[in-house]
Amino acid sequence: MLDRVQARDQMAMTDLFDRYGSMVYSVALRVLKDPALAEDVMQEIFFKVWENPKMFVQGRGSLGAWLAVVARNRAIDALRRRKPSDPVEDVVLTSKTNLASEVERNTMMEKVRVVLNGLPSEQQRSVELAFFDGLSHSEIALQTGDPLGTVKTRIRSALMSVRKALQA
Amino acid sequence: MTNDRHIAQEDLDLYAMQALSTGESAAVRLHLAECAQCRNELAEISGDLALVAMSVEQHALPDGARQRFVNRISASPASAEAPAVSRTIPIDARWPMRRAAVWIPWAAVAALLVLSVSLGMKILRLDQEIQRESSVAAVQSAANAHAQEVLDLLTAPTAQHVLLTAAKTRPVPSARAVYLASRGALILQASNLEPLPEDKTYELWVIPANGSAPIPAGLFRPDAAGSASLVLPQLPKGISAKAFGVTIEKASGSDTPTAPIVLSGAAPAAGE
Repeated sequence: MLDRVQARDQMAMTDLFDRYGSMVYSVALRVLKDPALAEDVMQEIFFKVWENPKMFVQGRGSLGAWLAVVARNRAIDALRRRKPSDPVEDVVLTSKTNLASEVERNTMMEKVRVVLNGLPSEQQRSVELAFFDGLSHSEIALQTGDPLGTVKTRIRSALMSVRKALQA
Repeated sequence: MTNDRHIAQEDLDLYAMQALSTGESAAVRLHLAECAQCRNELAEISGDLALVAMSVEQHALPDGARQRFVNRISASPASAEAPAVSRTIPIDARWPMRRAAVWIPWAAVAALLVLSVSLGMKILRLDQEIQRESSVAAVQSAANAHAQEVLDLLTAPTAQHVLLTAAKTRPVPSARAVYLASRGALILQASNLEPLPEDKTYELWVIPANGSAPIPAGLFRPDAAGSASLVLPQLPKGISAKAFGVTIEKASGSDTPTAPIVLSGAAPAAGE
């Protein structure tokens, strides 16, 4: 699909938007909690892909996963009203699942939700503050009253749980 | 933050979530540039985080969002690949693009023009300065090369050192007098004297130390070789001499010296 986008195929770009648009928007909305701002983030991300499809390098993981991380990062930037923290090209990820398939993606997401909801509340809280609220580790430690090392350990444990659940 | 060789996983988690401080992030970025193992681990973590991100509750797009996007890409240039002004996606919640004022691009263009002119002038000035510096450097380089050549010549072990003197010149006239005041005795030997006309002669004078008038001490003429001598002429005894002089006089001599004095010499104190 990206090859067609590269060839300036508007239809292909629209298909890509249809496939991932709501997911990117939902991630941005989860962070920003403002539909207008979330749409701005989403529009900008997809327009950048249209302008430069090579931003996403094949082999760097699935496009859907890449878009999700980019959406989260750009939404955090918008939340903090700061300049983009990293070039999107720097987002490199490993994806072991075929997230391009909507069915498989939905199945996978359901598994992840189950895992996240089953985490100890302290772990959930730490991941929530770091990933969706964009707080730094020291800000989290300050807010929760936990030692810095504890904050780090909780986040690590949460991510390991997600990984193990998907590997099972 | 790092163990012996790698970034701790907890810190990679935080880095992937941009939850490290600026300084900590910079340190991690530095390490990642060199460490494939940590890059791979970061990619794994980013994959995990992607799943966390995608697990959020899904929402339908706002009304018209799709059409706005289609309109936007339809209005964009049809070039194969629009040049990316920035490698990053600029997003600022305070200035969402769809609400951005239309004058912003024009203001940016104007600012770029001003910047371009300013940079152009600066480049011109720098170019002129470089040319001036180059000229100075060329002169200095030539001077240095010349100095080095001089040094090389002077210190070369195989260089030939030759002393040159003035070519042989006409001998200088001179005379040596030996005088014993107490006895009024004097001997003069002269050499390299200029030949004289027949009606002229050299005349020796004793200049008394008491300031009285010069005393004529004898006439003499040089031979063909320019030599002449005067041995024990008649002189009063007891006249201390301050100096001696030779003049050219008429052939019969003179009672007083006639300028110029062609030879002269101060007498040292008696006994010296």
